[in-house]
Amino acid sequence: MSGMGQACYVYPGAPATPALVTADISFSRGIYMNGSMLMDDGKSVTIWGFTDLAAAPGTMAGGNNGMGGSFPSPAIRVTEGQIVHTSLTVGNMWMHTIHHHGIEPSTENDGVGHFSYDIYNGTYTYQWKASSAGTYFYHCHVNTPLHAEMGMYGGLIIDPKPLSTDPVGTKRAFSNGPIYDVEAIWACDEIDPALHTLAWNAGTCGGDVGLNNFHPKYFIITGVDGASSALTNPGVAVNMKLGQTALVRYICAGFFPQKITFGGLTASVVASDGRPLPAAWSTTSIEASSAERYDCIIKPTTTGTYTVTVQFLHWITGAVLGTAKTRINVT
Amino acid sequence: MDRRSFLKASGAGLATTLMGTGMLSWTPRSEAATISKTYYINDGTRAMPDGVSVYFKSYGDSATALSLPATPIICQEGDTLSITVINRLLKTHNFVIGGLKAGDPPLASTGNIASGATGTINLAIPSGAAGSYMFYDNVTGYNRFLGLHGGLAIMPSGSSTTLYSGSPTFKKQLFWIFNDIDPALNNAVQLNGTIPTTFTPRYFTINGLSSRPPGASGFGDPTIDAMADPRSKLSGSIGDRTLLRILNTGMCSHSVHTHANHMEWLTNNGVVRSSVWKKDSLYLRNNLGKIDSIYPFSPPPDAYPAVTTGHFPMHLHDEMSQTAGGGLYQFGSMTEIEFI
Ligand SMILES: [Cu+2]
Ligand SMILES: [Cu+2]
Repeated sequence: MSGMGQACYVYPGAPATPALVTADISFSRGIYMNGSMLMDDGKSVTIWGFTDLAAAPGTMAGGNNGMGGSFPSPAIRVTEGQIVHTSLTVGNMWMHTIHHHGIEPSTENDGVGHFSYDIYNGTYTYQWKASSAGTYFYHCHVNTPLHAEMGMYGGLIIDPKPLSTDPVGTKRAFSNGPIYDVEAIWACDEIDPALHTLAWNAGTCGGDVGLNNFHPKYFIITGVDGASSALTNPGVAVNMKLGQTALVRYICAGFFPQKITFGGLTASVVASDGRPLPAAWSTTSIEASSAERYDCIIKPTTTGTYTVTVQFLHWITGAVLGTAKTRINVT
Repeated sequence: MDRRSFLKASGAGLATTLMGTGMLSWTPRSEAATISKTYYINDGTRAMPDGVSVYFKSYGDSATALSLPATPIICQEGDTLSITVINRLLKTHNFVIGGLKAGDPPLASTGNIASGATGTINLAIPSGAAGSYMFYDNVTGYNRFLGLHGGLAIMPSGSSTTLYSGSPTFKKQLFWIFNDIDPALNNAVQLNGTIPTTFTPRYFTINGLSSRPPGASGFGDPTIDAMADPRSKLSGSIGDRTLLRILNTGMCSHSVHTHANHMEWLTNNGVVRSSVWKKDSLYLRNNLGKIDSIYPFSPPPDAYPAVTTGHFPMHLHDEMSQTAGGGLYQFGSMTEIEFI
């Protein structure tokens, strides 16, 4: 482990995947440790994440010459029933894993180091089957209070198998679930810049590096500052026509509780944590805790601009620490 | 010993030995009974994962044994609860069984118990009271953070498999009682100092213990390592549906996240939910939050090839809770889920 600095209670490895089969769909992820995000106040914050090695052939992944990448990390999108390979390549400077949150594979493929391996100096292929359509996310499970905070996560969507009775291109939230026209993936997260200066192994051998003491200053939606940029960012704000149906995949990607309010619109929540609800739940707001997902069908009945707010709540006091905003524009 | 080789070698055997000492065991009776329990309000110190010694108070099983949390009580509707609480400390304390639902009056209380005095509860448990309860000291708002807390399970009369009449059924049950520890508070109480008005917890426990990863001192010791504590660890075979009576005695809201299976979410703060949602992450509120859910022990649905065995974590997803003393990831509020 030369060059990687001392780390404790890590379980390095990159073995062959047990019972590896040919996948229906494959993703190839590297990592970057030198990304950055420009905030609305003009300051930059260091971001880590996963790269798409298939999209950037020849990119050396995993540390020796890590390079910036997208934030959030590139989404993984598959179809229900598919056997999926997510391979992760990590160099010899640090360790990471991919935990497909809400996906429930075997121990070896769950991405939890102390039950399997923290990927180091090689490639591991996570093999799993996409059994339930819905909204998930993937994230690193090494020194997670730091690595997830640094941005090592991305969306994970399982689409239902198309119904033979549906016109081609029909989009449903889950098998026989509601049809939607427009989709938004809102991964809402809070950033404490004080943590974004730490090394990958900070605190693993002991010592107080402040991982219990979380003071977020930025509040973001899908990698965009929610102070003002997310109001109009085309990757975040929803533009839809009256009569259309939107599916908002809301992911509580931070650590503190959150409250999302849909700007006066009513959402029909049809699924949560990758499972359809027995009955849809109508609500104008959702209070969620870390890693919960809610799939929200929104069908506005009047044109207008609806300002969606996500409040981030202190885990002890419940105080609103900050608010991220975006819009649903209905024309 | 390395957890992984330990598990490969003999984990199942050890788990079997420990099983039954930690789970709540229950056999329903056709006759009501009197359930008697004596608690001793006492204090002491515990070493945290980083070696720091922290002061606690507890409802101890003996005059001197620190019991974090208190040994739970399980009984059934129609029983009489006879609880004796002996206050061995200098301060006044009490023992309150909180109501089933948020806003309900307490189920019972000893009233204030002066130093050296004894308080009692004699309660005939009415029908319809089935559910998960938290008992705690509320003489101050922070006494329960110090360790004065525990769980009471009231079973429906005649049932060993339901949470409430007509609920989804389970085979096993246990409490997961979460606490957050800010040693500044505990120190202030110990030293009779000024009680802090804001908190920054540094240690996080499930049933009084923090987890230890392979290679750490105390790893695998059920009296130290929350992963191995039979009061907390889920150990079962396919179909061993386990009721999780989840109580938040601490200061922080949390997100309870299980790997390998979604949980069936039955109640929130004592209220039976109108339909059962399947959740991998559950919002456990602070201020006495409670959740009942069932971990179904179904084959992990996304495994390929299919599996029926494996080792997984349950951890809080507000990841600050996975640390000790500001670092030491994997030394926080986590336990193991073992499919055997
Ligand atoms: Cu990582
Ligand atoms: Cu997760």
